[in-house]
Amino acid sequence: MMSLDAAHGPSGKVDLRQLTPEQTALEINGLNLHYADKQALFDVSMKIPRKQVTAFIGPSGCGKSTLLRCINRMNDLVDDCRISGEVLLNGHNIYDKSVDVAKLRRNVGMVFQRPNPFPKSIYENVVYGLRLQGMNNRRELDEACERSLRGAAIWDEVKDRLHDNAFGLSGGQQQRLVIARAIAIEPEVLLLDEPTSALDPISTLTIEELITDLKSRFTVVIVTHNMQQAARVSDQTAFMYLGELIEYADTNTIFTTPKKSKTEDYITGRYG
Amino acid sequence: MDNKQLTRHISGQFNAELEDIRNKVLAMGGLVEQQLEQALDALGALDMELAQKVIEGDHRVNGMEVDIDEECTRIIAKRQPAASDLRLVIAISKTIADLERIGDACVRIAKAALEKRSNNQQPLLVSIESMGRHATRLLHSTLDALARMDVEAAIELHKEDALLDKEYEGIIRQLMTYMMEDPRSIPGILDVLWAARAVERVGDRCKNICEYVIYYVKGRDVRHVSYEEMEKD
Repeated sequence: MMSLDAAHGPSGKVDLRQLTPEQTALEINGLNLHYADKQALFDVSMKIPRKQVTAFIGPSGCGKSTLLRCINRMNDLVDDCRISGEVLLNGHNIYDKSVDVAKLRRNVGMVFQRPNPFPKSIYENVVYGLRLQGMNNRRELDEACERSLRGAAIWDEVKDRLHDNAFGLSGGQQQRLVIARAIAIEPEVLLLDEPTSALDPISTLTIEELITDLKSRFTVVIVTHNMQQAARVSDQTAFMYLGELIEYADTNTIFTTPKKSKTEDYITGRYG
Repeated sequence: MDNKQLTRHISGQFNAELEDIRNKVLAMGGLVEQQLEQALDALGALDMELAQKVIEGDHRVNGMEVDIDEECTRIIAKRQPAASDLRLVIAISKTIADLERIGDACVRIAKAALEKRSNNQQPLLVSIESMGRHATRLLHSTLDALARMDVEAAIELHKEDALLDKEYEGIIRQLMTYMMEDPRSIPGILDVLWAARAVERVGDRCKNICEYVIYYVKGRDVRHVSYEEMEKD
């Protein structure tokens, strides 16, 4: 841990071209994906650094959500979906036959665009995954619940009504509850698929603030349509277009001096 | 800035706003250039009326700076420009500050023309005028490079400031000789010195503007770097 932070340098930035294996949470190599006859990802290769926020941006249909879903094999659920290439989590290919997908998804949590709490109490929502894992000790569950809700910056708002139905919360609170549920089982990687697109600006800022906190514990990968959000929260940004990874660099570079004209056109709002 | 990229935004309003600050900074440059020419004319001919006109004209330069700056702030707040758009707004915001300072230099030159004591120093003023014409050409070409966002021209002009500095050093040596020869002439010579210094500063400001042009086009900050570094792609 110490050596990792030292390698991050004073600003906490990493050099994407020289990531060491310890610094790399995910490595995607030559990933191609077809939905039936249509190819959605073309030879995507990238390394996602550990305990940093990496954003995928690009116009609708560019494959950013598809790429995100490859990281916890959500695309397995889609019929006619064929994948080639590899996605290495800590050096191990998650598409290897021996991989237990349920276990993988415990390690790679996901939060979707619309908050999707279960029709249960706030408390039960958070501890749901832990109960599935067989944890039944009340005290341990209580502790995990508080830790996760604090981690998702919602504890103070719900601590007096933990046993109320989760649907009574506002959209922004529900989304943070869902994040609390995702982090309760202590995954390594957290995938966020447009987590704020259904929220108002203030809730959005709260979630963004939360994302910045989360990266001290998790590797965060976020898909967002809001370019300014990517600029605000991420350390690295990947720009995708028509299924290809066009440019991937640290966020400051992408938003001030992108190398590729396609990236420039997209982030400055020009005709493609 | 004659960059066709500028007009390709999906938002026509954003295009119009960027075009507008771009046109205004060029207009401001034109005004400053005219101020400099007139200040030098006034100095060469010791034309008090013209000198007065230059001094009074400075408020227009100042007004334009404030106006364009406000517009840049508005664009940043409303449009959150990124990449080349952001660099354009920043480059313009910095350019107008330097243009305003060139405007101040013009006032200083005009004030030297108003000084009664300057009458005795006319031969010296003529050598400043010739250095001033050099500075005017430099400013003109710099504004040209800015209008066309021409990196090569900007680098060449950046180098040319050194020539102006040499002329300035020459004038200083000349003035020092005069001061040593006749200490009573020192007050008058100091007026000339301030004017020479003002002209020399015009060259430095042009150099800054050239750096902003390079920053806009290449996306690299070339302040305080060697020419080798500056010319790298």
